[in-house]
Amino acid sequence: MHRKIMASSLAVLTMGALVAGCGTPNNSTSTTNNAGTTGSSAHASFKVGLVTDTGGLNDHGFNHLADVGLTKAEKDFGITGKVVQSTQASDYVPNLQNFAQNGYQLVIAVGFLMDGAVKQVAKEYPKTKFLIIDDPITGMSNVTSAIFNTEQCGYLVGAMAGLMEKQTGLKGINNKNVLGVVGGQQIPPVTSYIAGFQQGVQKTDPGATILVKWANSFSDQALGSQIAQAEISQGADIIFPVAGGTGIGSIDAAQSAGVYAIGVDADQNYLAPATVITSATKGVDTATYDVIKQAMNNKFQSGIQYFNLKNGGVGIATPNSAVPKSVITQVNNLEQQIINGSITVSATMK
Amino acid sequence: MKSVWRAIGTPVLASLIAIIIGGIIAAAIGYNPLQVYGSLISGAFGGAIPLGNTLAGSVPLILAGLGIAVAFRAGLFNIGAEGQYWIATVAAVWIGYHFKGMPGFLHLIFMLVVAMVVGGLWGGIIPGLLKAYRGAHEVITTMMLSYIGILFAQYCIEPGGPMLEKGYQPQSPAVAQNAWLGSIIPNSQLTWGFAIAIVAAVVVWWILFHTTFGFQLRAVGSNQFAARYAGMNVPLYTVLALGFSGVLAGLAGAVQMLSQDHRLTQSFSSGYGYTAIVVALLARNNPFGVILAGIFFSALSTGSQNMQLVSGIPQSLTDVLTGLIIFFVAAERLIPMALTWYRRRKSGRLQVSLPEGGRTDG
Repeated sequence: MHRKIMASSLAVLTMGALVAGCGTPNNSTSTTNNAGTTGSSAHASFKVGLVTDTGGLNDHGFNHLADVGLTKAEKDFGITGKVVQSTQASDYVPNLQNFAQNGYQLVIAVGFLMDGAVKQVAKEYPKTKFLIIDDPITGMSNVTSAIFNTEQCGYLVGAMAGLMEKQTGLKGINNKNVLGVVGGQQIPPVTSYIAGFQQGVQKTDPGATILVKWANSFSDQALGSQIAQAEISQGADIIFPVAGGTGIGSIDAAQSAGVYAIGVDADQNYLAPATVITSATKGVDTATYDVIKQAMNNKFQSGIQYFNLKNGGVGIATPNSAVPKSVITQVNNLEQQIINGSITVSATMK
Repeated sequence: MKSVWRAIGTPVLASLIAIIIGGIIAAAIGYNPLQVYGSLISGAFGGAIPLGNTLAGSVPLILAGLGIAVAFRAGLFNIGAEGQYWIATVAAVWIGYHFKGMPGFLHLIFMLVVAMVVGGLWGGIIPGLLKAYRGAHEVITTMMLSYIGILFAQYCIEPGGPMLEKGYQPQSPAVAQNAWLGSIIPNSQLTWGFAIAIVAAVVVWWILFHTTFGFQLRAVGSNQFAARYAGMNVPLYTVLALGFSGVLAGLAGAVQMLSQDHRLTQSFSSGYGYTAIVVALLARNNPFGVILAGIFFSALSTGSQNMQLVSGIPQSLTDVLTGLIIFFVAAERLIPMALTWYRRRKSGRLQVSLPEGGRTDG
């Protein structure tokens, strides 16, 4: 009896609070996501839906960047954007269907894990346009694929790392000439970065040892830190994590060990300004933004669109003050050579 | 009758309190709770397709949840359903694309049976024998074997892995199409797998409550010393209960492959085996309760996707909600414990002179 009274009084209490909560004005709700619709409101009827993969929006990587691109498009063009985060792989199909069903003109699927889902849903909704990041889908008139030549930016950060190893008297750089890579998973969007990195190091510092270890996770920061520590204890003094959230831990480990790290996907210098010398960036944000623009202006192109150094789709972030000027100049030279085609970088790992 | 009401009432009350607190949190961060829950409910049940997706999502939770409930009934905590799910999935998919010439129906049954056997071996026979004869605690063994199972499935589709299909995607070849479970509601994910889950619940209920095996299993669970004294073979029932539990987790994996994925892909973060533990807890290990609890958790997950679309609320809120429900279900058991402790302390203070353990009402 006692318990019943306690429970029901608790229920009444919380119910009261709930009702009170309802009373507060919530008019802002509907506008929170379309902040800054000050642009041409004529486009508000153009609706773009974004479905993240299971990595979620806080991955500091491509899901996040796609959202950045979408937000920018909302601001600039006054379109309506909505984001749905998938919790598990079986959410992909219903999430894509949901947007198509609700009359969204463009649906963005972030990540090649959604390959099958996009192929299925794009067939069911031929009038809806789809963009998939990191996955080559061809032969469907309403699907465009954004492929990033991340081997090119991987090459540049690799070249920079090699040159750093050769510097003498740089704080934090030892004489063992060892570099550490932490890979998230052996899948093409990851291995292309590492392939480029290997070739870049080979170009500037052929004698260097590159340790490559796999985390098999994109979200385990503790593991990322552990792997980086192991590599550091083997003499690595520059760590290049290509592992989403796992890599955040690797950067932490580099910071506490007083060695350097290279960011990936986004400019990750803000995570550890003195540690992250540069980042290999992948313009998921620009790609998303560009494709939204194309779709809005009826210039949607189906098939694969490549994003590379030449069109600014990939790149390297401004190096921090630890990187000597001479190194930056040499890396810039290599960048020009890739752009004009005198250096070609392979996307397959050694 | 009273006990039935209590059995149903407490989990429902726990869920309600959690939902109300979730609403307060939603309101506190600036969302209209009514709109939030409205979109949650319409996303989970509003129309044939959402309803189909919700029921489809409940299938692995129900099957794995039944397995965990069976183990709980025998006083065992099978924490490794996730790994049993994946190891059985590997076996089912392998059979699914290796024996393509078979008639679809036979092929389907073949896959289900192999998945059940593999799940049973992984979840039951190995940890069960270790527990029964070496005293190794099943929480440790099932959990460790679970990691091995998950990582093995991952390895199978990694570069150089034995089941990797050529191409850009890290995935296995697809299961022969004539063995796929057919869909019940077009354009939704609901397949006849749901019927398998319901049948499994009935079978589990019948075995647990209407057979000698079930009685003995529960007897071992209630008091293994008494059961041993009554002449029951406790080690045997430990092995069989964990085995039965693994069989159901394995079945969950095979049914899911035949209904949704049709192949091994990078979807190892599903967490069905873990959510299933909560499903069994909320259902208080009642097979029919497991059906409802499975649908409930699936509805939370399906509805939350629509909730994001309609009200723009972050996905994390449903995780908060799930967490609150688990907390209140657990707390529901804490309250009587706390009350007993409080009463004992009070009576202890009044009757200091009584010897320890002495009771006035005895």
